[in-house]
Amino acid sequence: MAEKSGGLAGRERAPEVLTEGAHVPGTRWERRADAALGVAASAILFCMMTLTFVDVVLRYVFNRPLRGGFEVTELLLLVLIFAGLPLVTHANEHVTMDLIDRWLGSRGSALLSRVMELASAALMFGLTWLMWLRAARVAGYGDTTDVLRIVVAPFVYFMVAMILLSGLIHLWRAFTAYPR
Amino acid sequence: MIEGLVALGAMLVLCFLRLPIAFAMAVTGVVGYAYMRDWNWTVAFAAVQTNVYETGRNYTLSVVPLFLLMGIFVARAGIAEQLFRAAYAFIGHLRGGLAMATVIACAGFGSICGSSIATAATMAKVAYPSMKRFGYSDQLSAGAIAAGGTLGIMIPPSTLMVIYGVFTETNIGKMFAAGLLPGILGAILLCGAVQWACWRDPKAGPRGERVSWRERWVSLAGIWPVALLFLFVIGGIYGGMFTATEGAGMGAFGAMVFALWRRALSWKTLYQSLVDSGRTTAMLFLILIGALIFADFINITSMPSDLKAFVQRFEVNPVLVVAAIMLIYIVLGTAMEELSMVLLTLPVFFPLIVSLGFDPVWYGVLVVTIVEIGLISPPVGMNLFVLSTLLPQVQTTTVFRGVLPFIGADIVRLALLILFPSIALWLPSLMR
Repeated sequence: MAEKSGGLAGRERAPEVLTEGAHVPGTRWERRADAALGVAASAILFCMMTLTFVDVVLRYVFNRPLRGGFEVTELLLLVLIFAGLPLVTHANEHVTMDLIDRWLGSRGSALLSRVMELASAALMFGLTWLMWLRAARVAGYGDTTDVLRIVVAPFVYFMVAMILLSGLIHLWRAFTAYPR
Repeated sequence: MIEGLVALGAMLVLCFLRLPIAFAMAVTGVVGYAYMRDWNWTVAFAAVQTNVYETGRNYTLSVVPLFLLMGIFVARAGIAEQLFRAAYAFIGHLRGGLAMATVIACAGFGSICGSSIATAATMAKVAYPSMKRFGYSDQLSAGAIAAGGTLGIMIPPSTLMVIYGVFTETNIGKMFAAGLLPGILGAILLCGAVQWACWRDPKAGPRGERVSWRERWVSLAGIWPVALLFLFVIGGIYGGMFTATEGAGMGAFGAMVFALWRRALSWKTLYQSLVDSGRTTAMLFLILIGALIFADFINITSMPSDLKAFVQRFEVNPVLVVAAIMLIYIVLGTAMEELSMVLLTLPVFFPLIVSLGFDPVWYGVLVVTIVEIGLISPPVGMNLFVLSTLLPQVQTTTVFRGVLPFIGADIVRLALLILFPSIALWLPSLMR
């Protein structure tokens, strides 16, 4: 890597080129969790794509659109994003500005990283609590989608679980990911 | 006004301390919101809950992963090489011809890929070795790839336009239509920048070999899948055959079939493509959610109306206002991540632009142009960073010097777009 400092970490990744030999660090346990979420996310995206395709074809060729297809797409999107969240967190791919690393030594930089991981963890736990309250409310009302009457609460609880997992990953990274 | 500025400052400090930008926006947004409501945390938290939940379930936004996926499939299918070969066949024998071929191939790739970084990264692998072989200077090669890559977000489809459209409630189909001509204009001006660079340093871009007309037609025949996908997806959206989301789904599916047909997809690469797209989506959505929370706060401060009043009081020429905003963006864009910069400032600038009677679609095209410039502005342009990662043999300073003429060309395009809005608005005006 020519010059990492002063760039932007994370952000959109280039296909293929930058991902050669996917960089899943850590224990076997971590790799398994990564793989499980990765399979879930990719399966969901595949479904989303196929669903849209089938919907359009049915509408144009057979004049029979899928009933409530867009509702399913919405829920799939929700799951896709929040299944992706721990993956992004684990690979440390959040967009950050790392200009400050130019002035900090390697020890100072590691210390700052730990503090920021802890702060991120705290924020994620706070958000977990907020979304938990929302999930409980959704469950209490027994919210369903308009057309297909899909019960929404489990999806919101999934969101809560993934935000919590991301918080735990931040916490874990604060203690293990940086040299002392 | 004051509270808005304080919050912006606090947010930048948090970003500077390397808190993820999305978190920094969200947390200042929440605190600011609570402050504006006399420390009523209940309403502030309700705003967070709604933003997180509703953004995650936004039907229109499902365009983002699907278009990302389409670009990734097409990149895997090796189509970039064919685009480059075809462009080379026609103009490779001119001075600086390979660099211009790179720009044009980028534009072609941008017509099926909505991401600047993916375009630059894909082209770096294809075009850089050819330019090296013909003795092009690293400066020119790197500059052309980095700048050409940014055409990916102007020429439809474009993930940035989708996000802008959702954020400002602007029609995404119209945004796509508006991007086409400015994208082509951009490619022409970037070719002009190549000529300028070659004029300054005649050794930088030697001529390639002349290719016979027969071979030219053969190479052109190799790019039919790109033309087909573009006409089908963007034409379909433009013609009202389907919505942007449906177009993205069809495009991703078509690109997958195409990649399978070229035998470019194994189970493993299919899985990687899907996960890549999913992760990038999660990352983009996080920034979007953070920005929406921050926007909710800015919207209840007096900042947007104060700015409007300020402009009205001094009766500034509206075009000058736009020019001033663009200048602010160019300066900010050298140091900030572009998507967050745009989303952060839209709640302040967008109402002003609309109140001055400008078209939101046109302003969206300007914003995309400004992001393109930011992506190649040293020291923190993302495309430059991608290039120095992919081409470790090229020094970062060489890349920085190489993009300068191209930044010039982009600024010329920005000026043309401000002076002649119809470049952007003509095509969307023909839509039903």
